[in-house]
Amino acid sequence: MRPVRRSAVTAAVLVATGATAFTATGCGAVDGRRDAARAAAVRFEEAVRARDASALCAALAPGTRQELEHSAEAACAASVLEEDLPYGGFDRRVDVHGRQARVVLEKDTLFLSQFPDGWKVVAAGCVPQGGEPYQCTVKGS
Amino acid sequence: MTSENGKEHEQEKRSFLLDNGLSLAFGTAFLLALAGQAFAGHAEFNSDLRTDGLAPIGLGDYLASSHFAVDVTENWQSEYLQFFLFVFGTVWLLQRGSPESKEMHKAGPESDKEQRVGRYARADSPRWAATGGWRQALYSRSLGLLMAALFLLSWFAQAVSGAAAYNEQMLRQLQAPVGWGEYVMGADFWSRSLQNWQSELLAVASMAIFSVHLRQRGSPESKPVGAAHTSTGVEG
Repeated sequence: MRPVRRSAVTAAVLVATGATAFTATGCGAVDGRRDAARAAAVRFEEAVRARDASALCAALAPGTRQELEHSAEAACAASVLEEDLPYGGFDRRVDVHGRQARVVLEKDTLFLSQFPDGWKVVAAGCVPQGGEPYQCTVKGS
Repeated sequence: MTSENGKEHEQEKRSFLLDNGLSLAFGTAFLLALAGQAFAGHAEFNSDLRTDGLAPIGLGDYLASSHFAVDVTENWQSEYLQFFLFVFGTVWLLQRGSPESKEMHKAGPESDKEQRVGRYARADSPRWAATGGWRQALYSRSLGLLMAALFLLSWFAQAVSGAAAYNEQMLRQLQAPVGWGEYVMGADFWSRSLQNWQSELLAVASMAIFSVHLRQRGSPESKPVGAAHTSTGVEG
């Protein structure tokens, strides 16, 4: 137990610096990520409203697009409009935690994830199920 | 002349290493273990992301993530809680035969004479031990208070980073995130806290009782090898 007594001040400085850095790092970049996630959701909703299949497919996460093609047994551009995704309208709330986001719209909820080429939609057409995971029309496996 | 200066410098350096060997060795081992945790945690995190069909992240992003932060701080808080409880608890709580305990008649904060404070302070005593009032009161508890402050600070950091990591996981599972208040009342926060606390408390209890009967020759954490099992407060 004595070693800690000797190095107590050094430890205090290390811990205080570390804890502050962790907290600051976590909070600092959130605003930028929230704006980027919201912008990706808006682009997705515009594509839904315009029934622009290629824009919709480009906005989907790779795993989600793959699952869509697998279940429809057709290319994304040929099948995505069949899903009848609802036009969600304006965003009401954006939650960003790490590299994941939820955008709650007037008539839909989207889940997004950050990829090297920007935020992509992981799940769309999502309806809350109480404490359970959302039920989504389009999602990854 | 230059050669003598060089020798002196070399001696000073060796003396510094000898004087601080314990802190330097454990400080270095801490940094190596933290680096190891960073690499292993990064690999595990990316494996989970790939399983969920999500993009892996770089090491820098992982080090700045709430996932790494909560894994680090949940361990830090429990270590400082352990030392805080140990430092404060051993003022009053005793263990017959243990070198971690004071002698059986010394329970409590002890007299000014025993603690060398106020008029009993010596020439080499810390300045605040000799002065009375709040300075002496504060300095007399400074070690325990520092441990308590470090515990609270790292526990708070765990609560903040834990909430962010938990919510990131909720979003990956297509579930709604929770507020900070709900998180700190929830199972994830308390499971992380209690699983660390129980191991620290076990370690303290084990050390207190095992050191009654077992010895480590040359270690100040042990009684001298030949000391009686009943002798308390004796350090090797």
